[in-house]
Amino acid sequence: MARGGGNRSRLLLVILLVTALFFITLDLRGVNLTKGSRSISQTILSPVQRTVSDIFSPVGRFFGDIKNFGKTNAELQNELATNKLLKAEIATNADIKGQLTQLKGVLDLAGRGNFKVVAARVIARGSASSFSQTITIDSGSSSGIRSNMTVISQNGLIGVVKTTTSSSAIVLLMSDPSFRVGVRIARSQSVGVLSGLGSNNYSLVLLDPSGSIKIGDTLLTNGSAGNKPFVPGVPVGVVTSVDDSTGTLTQTATVNSYANLNDLGVVSVIVSAPTTAPTTPILPTPNPVVTVYVTPAPIPLLSPGATASAIPTPTSTPSSVATKKK
Amino acid sequence: MSPTRIFTTLGFFFALFVIQESAVSLIHFPLSGFSLYLAIAISLIAFEDHNGALVTGFLAGIVLDLSPTSNAPFGQWALILTGIGFLFAVNRDSIADLTSSPITFVLFVAGGVAIALVTYLAFGALLGEQNGSLGHDGKVLLGNTIWTLVFTPMFLPALERVREYSLTARER
Repeated sequence: MARGGGNRSRLLLVILLVTALFFITLDLRGVNLTKGSRSISQTILSPVQRTVSDIFSPVGRFFGDIKNFGKTNAELQNELATNKLLKAEIATNADIKGQLTQLKGVLDLAGRGNFKVVAARVIARGSASSFSQTITIDSGSSSGIRSNMTVISQNGLIGVVKTTTSSSAIVLLMSDPSFRVGVRIARSQSVGVLSGLGSNNYSLVLLDPSGSIKIGDTLLTNGSAGNKPFVPGVPVGVVTSVDDSTGTLTQTATVNSYANLNDLGVVSVIVSAPTTAPTTPILPTPNPVVTVYVTPAPIPLLSPGATASAIPTPTSTPSSVATKKK
Repeated sequence: MSPTRIFTTLGFFFALFVIQESAVSLIHFPLSGFSLYLAIAISLIAFEDHNGALVTGFLAGIVLDLSPTSNAPFGQWALILTGIGFLFAVNRDSIADLTSSPITFVLFVAGGVAIALVTYLAFGALLGEQNGSLGHDGKVLLGNTIWTLVFTPMFLPALERVREYSLTARER
């Protein structure tokens, strides 16, 4: 630069670097100008992405097709359909068994069918020049989609809506390193936090160090307050390895997701979930059902009013009936 | 770099950005993808003279910052690609005319892509972004570098012609 550019080049370099730093500062301070520019680019991009997706999707699957060369399409479709059915059955059975064991009727997985969903097509994937893991779908705020809504595929959870425009939305995939979701183990009802690792594997950290976790355990979403960003009961994945070494404060595990994030064609955004689903099961709750109905001795010690107010009621049946009557 | 050429370059980068985000990102490349945008942007930076490399890098970065899927703050890519432009400008004299040796040129472009991505990760780490495990990031870096090495020779002749066409008589 000193040889060829001289002072003018140095000045230009300084001006450009200062401009870039100025933009970064504006963005980090939350100025709408920079956020708005990305929103505008998304609005421009989404119609193009939708069109290109129609034409380009066979090319996009080119490398995957090479890998599966030799298997007929019919065989693949058959295997996929069987797998989906089995995974859904395993998730439902394990969850119901876990809840029956602990006499907790907090969630009926069959209620998952009551989700109100908006189906959307995947029209783009996150850019290779950034390390974030996202997809773009062809439905947006005009279809009722808002940010922080749960996104599922046929096999289970895939992510959460990050931003929306009127006709498209960007979904943060669960494999993104910044992704966190509260999950519970269907068998033991232990709760933990699942994190994306940027690949097909996920890290699970149990909140309770004495919680029970085994290889093969099924994980379901724990749910968030107001069902945002996560509705409860959506199948997430299966535990593939457990690290319970004595040196760690809590148990960690590696998880494989049910949904294949590399093969997303159509996804569904949950725009509303049944209000009767448990929204905050992350808190350990005593089991009032056992105390009241199975062991009659403690009943005289507690007045009916004290029982109702002192013990949290995790079961949703009474409130659900009341809601339905309204 | 003339104002006309700045606007032409900006338009070219935006078109390239749309292609990258709409088409190239749909392809499931083994080893986590290929950024055609970065490969072409760094090739163009390498073609330019001192000031041209800086301006081209900045313009390429600004357009890439428009990516709605990016978690990075607006301006991060502009900063990084201006830096890459500076690196090419400084080393241009010492490595002679890159265009006379296509193999060296491709190696420099692939190296430039790798440096840009590593710098992006480093800035991300400084700014508290979560960009994944070391293994995953290494895979993305390796994938991008390999695919850049593979694809750059394919688009290089066409890119050189487009650039020649866009130059004014004075710039030639």
